[in-house]
Amino acid sequence: MAQAPGQNQPPAAAPAAPGAPQTPPAPAAAKPPRPPAPTVPPEFDALPIWTLPPAKLVAMVKDPKSTLFQKAIACKKLAFVGGKDAIQPMAALLSHPQLGCYARFGLEPNPDPLVDDVLRAALPKLTGNLQIGVINTIGVRKDIKALDALIKLIDHSNAETACAATASVGMIGGLQASRALQAALGRTKPPVFPVAARASLLCAESLLASNKPRAMEMYTMLSATNMPEPVRRAAIRVLNAAGPAPAGAKEYPPPTGAAAEADKSGFLGRGR
Amino acid sequence: MEKNIVKKKLGTTRRGFGKAIAQVGAAVAVPAVVAAPAAAQIASPAPGQVGPVLVGNYAMVDQIRVGGIGIRGRGMADLRMMLGDDRVRFVGIADIRDSAREMVKSAVDGYYKTNDCVMYKDPAEILARNDIDALLIATSDRWHGPMAMWAAQSGKDMYIEKPGAMSIAESYAMADNVRRYGVVYQSGAQRRNQYAFEFAVGLARSGKLGRLLAVHADTAIGLGTVDAGGHGWWPETTPVPDPLVFDWDKWLGPCLWRPYNSGYADRGRGEFWDFHAGLLEWASHTVATAQWAADMEHTEPVEYEPEGGIFRGDGLISRYTINCRYANGVKLVLRNHSWSLLGSCSNRFEGTEGWVETGDSGRIEVSPNLKSLLPTRQGKRYDPTAEHIRDFLQCVRSRHLPRANAEVTAHTHVTSHAAWIAAQLNRKLTWDPAKRMFINDEEANRMRSRAYREPWRMEALATSM
Repeated sequence: MAQAPGQNQPPAAAPAAPGAPQTPPAPAAAKPPRPPAPTVPPEFDALPIWTLPPAKLVAMVKDPKSTLFQKAIACKKLAFVGGKDAIQPMAALLSHPQLGCYARFGLEPNPDPLVDDVLRAALPKLTGNLQIGVINTIGVRKDIKALDALIKLIDHSNAETACAATASVGMIGGLQASRALQAALGRTKPPVFPVAARASLLCAESLLASNKPRAMEMYTMLSATNMPEPVRRAAIRVLNAAGPAPAGAKEYPPPTGAAAEADKSGFLGRGR
Repeated sequence: MEKNIVKKKLGTTRRGFGKAIAQVGAAVAVPAVVAAPAAAQIASPAPGQVGPVLVGNYAMVDQIRVGGIGIRGRGMADLRMMLGDDRVRFVGIADIRDSAREMVKSAVDGYYKTNDCVMYKDPAEILARNDIDALLIATSDRWHGPMAMWAAQSGKDMYIEKPGAMSIAESYAMADNVRRYGVVYQSGAQRRNQYAFEFAVGLARSGKLGRLLAVHADTAIGLGTVDAGGHGWWPETTPVPDPLVFDWDKWLGPCLWRPYNSGYADRGRGEFWDFHAGLLEWASHTVATAQWAADMEHTEPVEYEPEGGIFRGDGLISRYTINCRYANGVKLVLRNHSWSLLGSCSNRFEGTEGWVETGDSGRIEVSPNLKSLLPTRQGKRYDPTAEHIRDFLQCVRSRHLPRANAEVTAHTHVTSHAAWIAAQLNRKLTWDPAKRMFINDEEANRMRSRAYREPWRMEALATSM
């Protein structure tokens, strides 16, 4: 986004719009001089941690004497190099207000199925944003074993939790998810309802390959006028691509008036 | 500053007018699937009147109503270009900084001589406005991916500054959302509409260079700046400000938590891995142009091999080359050295029958056998940003794909992120574009995504790795 050194600078003013009373505004007034850049102090230098082998990173996460920074950077690097032995130590940090996000960062890309087990176990023990974070990671990992727990959370009293759970159900997808989302569309209100509509759209798309009839059912449901407009339009595009509307859905009468007279006269060559 | 967040009392808007017509249509038992378009066509006013006109999938109006999110330096340049186009009516700004909100409102209201530009602290409020057709998004890099997905999910077209995504996974998720919701996406890669680059690409794609051998992209900055901060933190020296003045939590967005330091917002964006999209500071332009020239806009190279450079452990510094190869054998060379001083963001294309090189200066150099093809007038011919925005606005109306559309942008970003991952790991990587994964390299595969900090989430199918 920022202008790189040497890149073209835009002119001070854009070309005047036809009829515009004035040129567009010039840039903001001159800014005060920038203060000197802060420096990274030794206690926050990540390089010594980043270059440690995985076993030492795991030990750093476990060590109660490690600083918050050390644990954070160790989790971050373990996202890329951590094995099974890194999972439980990071899972223990999921409830930490600052380190919870680092623990999830470390766990989310780890392909070991034990990660799904620890996330499912953590789900009922957490609240608020930390629980939402775990819900989101479960959705990203598409853990189908977590579906039952997530479906219950669609009706959570905290709307943000309910929205997160609904979205994750859609990302996991499948027949069970599609039924749960259809039910949710019938009973939820904003802000959960639009999330349920978007989640249903995702779910329908994921079903196209494995269960096309069910996918088309969902798209038809999502094309109803009570759906959020962007979801409805998206569903209609898929239905249009799949073929014409069902027979009898709507038949327009033949042209009348001047158009019919023109046809009778044999004038069919408009546009030639 | 709450008093400055003016809530516009929306009555029946023009888009709302279109919807109202559609509802009338539905009320007379027109089936849902056809109700809105049919009703809107029937109700279209005579030419010359102000009212809804059906264009593509949208009940468009006489003007494209645009809202802004996160507009400051570069965004102000985009805003000036938009205001200069009489198809645009800029109606609102959302920003987490009160000073930025005030600056944009002042500029817009000053131009229109009104007091109508509505200010919002929370982008969600502007996304919820049904009367806005398109968004100008110029936040910091880490927000581009989520904002693009939200804009798509709210049915809004978008001109969004580059880079478009912070990871391979986010690149695919962004493009998937844009495709799913059928919105128009234009990345701020304005060199796609800059004459010198168009000319060079034209030579390559028309066969004037013979069989293409290699396309080169200048990725000068990006990796170098990572050296300044890497994964480190700056210390907390002042208390976290009042969220109404500067919302630190929202500034961090999906990035990992770290202690507050005002330096991040004032100057540190590019210096830390968390806030930096690697090569994409310039690769957003130059790799996009190279893939365009090679007719590889809808795929990525299959091999990435870093050469030279010093990998410090959390960043790559000094002179480097990353040699990439497409499945058809054509090379993509990413390098920060040995350019012909034609300006920043240079590209060079080489074929069996000649070569062409150009850059931001607008000057073009070719092999001696192609000199007769050079345009008589070289240098900057027009402002590419203005042309790029015109391309976007035209596509908002036509529903065509603009030049820097989401698919092209996603493949540019996947290529650049894959190359950056190879550089960070300092080893050769093999990529499978169909499976969207590196072959036999788990560490590289884990680097394809970055988990979002809570409560932010990525609603997409393309997340599973």
